[in-house]
Amino acid sequence: MENILKINKLSKRFGRIQAVDKLELEVSAGQVFGILGPNGSGKTTTLGMILDVVAPDEGDYEWFGNMPHTEARKKIGAILETPSFFPYLTAVQNLRITAHIKQCGENNIEPVLKQAGLYDRRNDKFKTYSLGMKQRLSIAAALLSDPPVLILDEPTNGLDPEGIAEVRALIRNVAKQGKTIIMASHLLDEVQKVCTHFCVLRKGKKLHEGSVSETLGEINKVEVAADDIKILEKVIGEFPGKTDYTVDGASLLVTMKDDFTATDLNDFCFAQGITLKKLFTHRNSLEQEFLKILREND
Amino acid sequence: MIRALKLEWLKIRNYRIFWILTGMYLLALLVITSGGTFFLQWLKSEGADFRGIDPTIIPINDFPDIWQNTTYLASYVIFLLAFIVIISVNNDLTYHTLRQNVIDGISKKEYLASKMLMIISMAVVSTLLIFFAGLVNGAIYSHVRGAEYIFDQMEFLAAFFYQIVIYCSLAFLLAMLIKKAGFVIVALFLYTIMFEPIVAAILINAPFFRDGIAPEIAQFFPIKAINNLISVPFGRYIFMEIQDYVSLKSVAIATGWFVVYLGLIYYILKKRDLK
Repeated sequence: MENILKINKLSKRFGRIQAVDKLELEVSAGQVFGILGPNGSGKTTTLGMILDVVAPDEGDYEWFGNMPHTEARKKIGAILETPSFFPYLTAVQNLRITAHIKQCGENNIEPVLKQAGLYDRRNDKFKTYSLGMKQRLSIAAALLSDPPVLILDEPTNGLDPEGIAEVRALIRNVAKQGKTIIMASHLLDEVQKVCTHFCVLRKGKKLHEGSVSETLGEINKVEVAADDIKILEKVIGEFPGKTDYTVDGASLLVTMKDDFTATDLNDFCFAQGITLKKLFTHRNSLEQEFLKILREND
Repeated sequence: MIRALKLEWLKIRNYRIFWILTGMYLLALLVITSGGTFFLQWLKSEGADFRGIDPTIIPINDFPDIWQNTTYLASYVIFLLAFIVIISVNNDLTYHTLRQNVIDGISKKEYLASKMLMIISMAVVSTLLIFFAGLVNGAIYSHVRGAEYIFDQMEFLAAFFYQIVIYCSLAFLLAMLIKKAGFVIVALFLYTIMFEPIVAAILINAPFFRDGIAPEIAQFFPIKAINNLISVPFGRYIFMEIQDYVSLKSVAIATGWFVVYLGLIYYILKKRDLK
């Protein structure tokens, strides 16, 4: 797959704090790549470095193969933290500046303002906008040049539930068009809902990298119970689709092999003369995985 | 080039404070270039005279003296342009629009270019205004005519242009260093009209200093370096000898500061994290 971003041993230190520590990452075309990590784990600093607003101490990065960085940034729509516009200019006037820098022409200004729901207020000054509107204008600006890559830093921070749903729908929409999205978030649920790939950062170090579905699929567990737990345990011991099981109170927690499902387990037990009174597939959440990854690296 | 300049234009063309300051500056230039005659008439009406000479016959508008006279006076209001630069740079820092511009796809060099081109444009417009005002006033009042007089001492127009570019670069640098626009404006203003002139005057005139190298050192002060490009011309009307040319030494010192300012601005842009 076409390589969009390649980060090579990127490091940044702020005083005594190593914000980013020899970070290596690769993002391919079409991925929705989540950078997960607790607050202060170096997510924003990393995004700042690949957008040339934070000077790295060490290491480098490549956009789109080896495109000059200024050219590459014109093909990236980015929202970093707070919306930054001139308060004394209107939405349209602010977006003209963006269009001028991105060299993308001004034809897209009206459509993106409509998309962001700001069309009626397009000739009002930025300083009269509410926080939600300011954020939506950032999104409009990021989409202005119809960029193949979007970078979002905590995209739903500070939005109301409706706004959050809108932004997530927008991200999925954009991803569906085959665009690449790189987003930083500390909201695991958010990454799980929209991302295809993710990495976990802590104290500037990468702890884990992988695809969301694989990571969640890895530890597919089924919880079962029967009237006689002893016999159930014996039967489960013979089940070919398991990799492991543990006794959890009155239930058994069976870790399944990749190609087996709860249906297989149910059929097997029934064939062995056991009727299950409980059959429950654990859909692992990224939260559990995330905590596990953090624990493993303690 | 045009692209970088247009970026700046998009930022300031709908900015009221920019137009207010520009209006004040243009008004000040108008008064300076055309007010001299009226000022002398006023002096006469107040009964002033210079060793028995009627003030209104002082030939301040004669070619080529008019160039040094007007550019010298106009250099007093350059600080208004410096305010525009300080406010525009400060806006980019406080509104994080410099950061946003970089994210959107300009380089730090292009940013430097956009501000410098704005400064140069202001300098070009100012110099042209002084030139045309000089032509008009000279045409009305000058006692001598002819191209050899009119276009003599044009170097003062170039020096005036250079003064604006250097002084505004200093303002640019200070605005990058100190993020409180109000403070920078007050500090630069007071330094320009009070602190440095007082220190320089002491170094040059005080008995303790004047025979050593102190007066020489004073020539290297940043504001002195800019002011020295155009010497005070009015001594000639009371029969004092004046420097009626732009000295190469003053150009060299001023250029030294200009290089320092540009270098520091670029260094800060390059090194500082935009947060």
